[in-house]
Amino acid sequence: MNENYSVIGKSVPKMDGRVKVTGQAKYTGDLKFPNMLVGKILTSPHAHARIISIDTSKAEKLPGVKAVITHRDVPSLKYGISPARWDENIFCIDKVRFVGDKVAAVAALDEETVYRALKLIRVEYEVLPAVFDPVEAIREGAPRIHDEYPMNINTEIHQNFGDVEKAFAEAHHVRTDLFMGQRTYQCPIEPHSAISIWEGGKLTVYSSTQSPHYHQYYIAREFGLKMGDVRVIKTFVGGGFGGKLEPTGLEFAGAALSRITGRPVKMFYDRHEMFAHNRGRHRQIMEVTTGVDKNGKILGLHANFIMDGGAYTSLGIASAYYAGAMLTLTYDFENYKFDMIRAYTNLPACGAQRGHGAPQPRYALEAHLDMVARDLGIDPLELRLRNARQPNTITPNEFKVNSCELTACIEKARELSGWKQKKGNLPSGRGIGLAVGSFVSGAGYPIYRTNLPQAAAIIKVHEDGSAATLYTGATDIGQGSDTVLCQMAAEAMGYFYENMKIVSADTETTPHDFGAYASRQTLMSGSAVKQAGEEVKQQLLEMAGEMMELPPGELDCREGIVFSKYSPEATRTFAEVAREFFVQKGPLVGRGSYTPPKLGGKFKGAPVGTSPAYSFAAQISEVEIDGETGQIDVKEVWDVHDCGMVINPALLRGQVHGALFMGMGESVWEEVVFDKNGRILNGNLGEYRMPTAVDMPKITSELVESYEPAAPWGVKEVGEGATIPTMGCFSNAIYDAMGVRVYSLPLSYEKVWRALKEKKEMESGLKSAAGRIYDKC
Amino acid sequence: MYLPDFDYQSPGSLKEACQILAAFGSRARVLAGGTDLMIKMKHGLLAPDVLVSLKNISQLAGIGYVQGRGVVIGARATHNDLVNSPVLQKKYLSVCEAAHHMANNQIRNVGTVGGNIVNAVPSADLPPILIALNAAVKLVGADGERELPLESFFTGPNRSVIGTDEILSEIVIPDQTSTGSTYMKFGLRRSGALAVVGVAVAVTVAGGVLKEAKIALGAVSPTPMRAVKAEELIRGRAVTDELLEEAGVCAAGECSPISDIRGSKEYRQDMVRVFTRRALRRAINEGHV
Repeated sequence: MNENYSVIGKSVPKMDGRVKVTGQAKYTGDLKFPNMLVGKILTSPHAHARIISIDTSKAEKLPGVKAVITHRDVPSLKYGISPARWDENIFCIDKVRFVGDKVAAVAALDEETVYRALKLIRVEYEVLPAVFDPVEAIREGAPRIHDEYPMNINTEIHQNFGDVEKAFAEAHHVRTDLFMGQRTYQCPIEPHSAISIWEGGKLTVYSSTQSPHYHQYYIAREFGLKMGDVRVIKTFVGGGFGGKLEPTGLEFAGAALSRITGRPVKMFYDRHEMFAHNRGRHRQIMEVTTGVDKNGKILGLHANFIMDGGAYTSLGIASAYYAGAMLTLTYDFENYKFDMIRAYTNLPACGAQRGHGAPQPRYALEAHLDMVARDLGIDPLELRLRNARQPNTITPNEFKVNSCELTACIEKARELSGWKQKKGNLPSGRGIGLAVGSFVSGAGYPIYRTNLPQAAAIIKVHEDGSAATLYTGATDIGQGSDTVLCQMAAEAMGYFYENMKIVSADTETTPHDFGAYASRQTLMSGSAVKQAGEEVKQQLLEMAGEMMELPPGELDCREGIVFSKYSPEATRTFAEVAREFFVQKGPLVGRGSYTPPKLGGKFKGAPVGTSPAYSFAAQISEVEIDGETGQIDVKEVWDVHDCGMVINPALLRGQVHGALFMGMGESVWEEVVFDKNGRILNGNLGEYRMPTAVDMPKITSELVESYEPAAPWGVKEVGEGATIPTMGCFSNAIYDAMGVRVYSLPLSYEKVWRALKEKKEMESGLKSAAGRIYDKC
Repeated sequence: MYLPDFDYQSPGSLKEACQILAAFGSRARVLAGGTDLMIKMKHGLLAPDVLVSLKNISQLAGIGYVQGRGVVIGARATHNDLVNSPVLQKKYLSVCEAAHHMANNQIRNVGTVGGNIVNAVPSADLPPILIALNAAVKLVGADGERELPLESFFTGPNRSVIGTDEILSEIVIPDQTSTGSTYMKFGLRRSGALAVVGVAVAVTVAGGVLKEAKIALGAVSPTPMRAVKAEELIRGRAVTDELLEEAGVCAAGECSPISDIRGSKEYRQDMVRVFTRRALRRAINEGHV
């Protein structure tokens, strides 16, 4: 690692490792308050139905029940995380739109009573025809899910850069493929949970959240409260992966119940309810057309997609734009057309899941490009090298790419995996596949329009200089931002990681930050922290200058020692200088904030996909397929990342492993399945099959040398980028092994078996046809 | 997802347990490992008034060899008890292996062999291998006890011949003439997956000829089933790859799987073909594994 640094670039132990491993860490569900009630939401059993009446009288009379509420008891203001389409109510007013839509809520003394009370609420429904497929949903005559959205079109995008038609006309080869994605769900290990305490005019919410800020903003808006009167506190969080970014309904219902009862109310989802609340990956139908010259250089690309949004918008507008926007990052071409319809259906609403809208389209493009390479007789890895984006370039949709070591990633993955020796030489049933990807290091613009900075930080040095506390709104949901940001703070201050304390993600005590999404915190929150640390150091050096009778410009501080750059024997400790500062001037505090430069073009949807910096990755996987069963045995995966300077290598590898785990699950196993009435068939961890520890292959996670000029210490993202190439990478490895292409996700054993069977039948059909011709001769 | 109220009894003897069961009839359920029962109760699928725990009935624990009877497995033995039993490892490693591929380690530590059988789930992993090995089950009731072949125990999904006052007390694997046995499970991931297809076989091979073969299938009919036609087809014939493939094709034709979220009927049938052939080959070549 770089010896210019003493704290960053090292795998220091995780801040919260000990309390988590010993079970001391308190998650929202572990918290108890005096007089706390338990609340639960009643949901719809129908996919689409008009609410005729709701009778809560029996439930209200049940001993132990303290409140039963419906839409009549809460604000009717519509909300959503995407301001352009606020389409959700706290409780349904006229209609329910999916199995699991929120209808009423109960607060009672204990959990048992709550469940009993829910059963006593009588809701009379008039069942309406429902639609579950996005293609059917946008047909004439389909049931209309929201009055405001004709043809069930939630979002429609038509972007056109350069001249794709001309590029195709001039191309040596044009190919079109159609791919199907699937619905997946994040499945964080910790269920969503919130405790709401409404006292006087103030509402405090403890929440399992990825963004205290967005929760605070939307809760205040919904109840007409001042932001300052809503305090959202993140506890320890057991994973989010995109699903805990927006208010979950638990906060709204809990707040209303707490206001009515005057008592704290704890609310939570069980595992099945988590699947029903969803906000997971959109299922996309993806038609991809590419025109290439005879050397495989991409001349133009047309992405024509439809996505199943489910019953509400959630983060889906962004998902829809991301789906197309991110395809331009990895390859250098000028002509790009992107068409997308996000349709409403009577299924749970989809949102952002690790990689947001990008992984499924990336699967489609990477599988498609392998077919293009085959058509041209070019090695698929070579085709990627010929098209790979270079540093300091601009994409057709006007994303400015600074650092970009994609070529080096591909080349290193080629060497590590033994691609040259293996490609075409593996025994029957074995295959090797490659795919690449790229992701934002933070979204260029916040989710709602505001000129607040992206991130802010305060560092307070303790009176005697023996510790320093970082106050940040950045949100650690398990990925390790508390640790990384304390490393960055200590580095900037010239201090020790071991002496750092942190207070994070509490809207009352920590400065504003938008939270954990779009892989933003290391770059964006890190920028604010670095600035705060430098401000502390500046003040410290000035104080030291007075104490040492040296000009501050001659001094520096590192690892807790202030020293003269010119006469190294002249030193003071950080602690004694900090103490003196406090005695003479009061608290030693540093402040920082970060606002990205203005990014992106002027066309409609231009902000989505903008970022100060982009990560790049190449993934190669080797698989073995059982030719009789279709079973896929993943032998090994190599991930090579360009993620700039690395603050904590161990945490980085943890992110790569985790992202790959999710990507693998989505590639081969995971899919949320519904019956014909829109009810989830596998809302549990037995039948929604995520990989287990024993399913994981050997993983090699490597890096290439890279430095991002737009970021503090040259950092970039890694948390989501490693999910993006995985599905395409497996599709290509399976094709290499067996010569069959599965055009839909997941690439399940049965689909591979079927594809092999069809291939065999076709070959034997061809053979017998050939035999018949031979007979005639 | 809340466990409803129930009374809890933990009698010290089988007799007492059966009397309680007889008194409460269908309002009582037997609690062994609880890995299935607790979930069903939490989901409101079952709401018994009384749970009769077997945990204080010591005679239900243990796995041992009894001269003249065979290997006797107490119904309360957990799956990991089966996996780790020296007697089973020595005589029928195939049973240990079948138990080892069930569910996940947490469940294997708690779930019991008796529960796995009495639940009568078509995809259960232990019945096929036990049926292939000719196992019998002993049922103890308030008015006496009976022993019957495991094969005739099941009557449908979640249904069996057991009476409301009866407790399955032990499983007996009689001494074998078979030379090899195995169970092959095809699930959709390496751990924590139910069988899409399970195939158990027991074979008696002498001089390259299949003197006797038993093929038992799981997850492809309402109850675990024997593929008797396939057994007949190969009985007395010399072992060849073609013969074993024929047996697979025949077994695939005999079963009647349904299509569900784990696999289509067509896929399951073809997997019966594949795994019948593979299981026969393994048992023939490797013995009880």
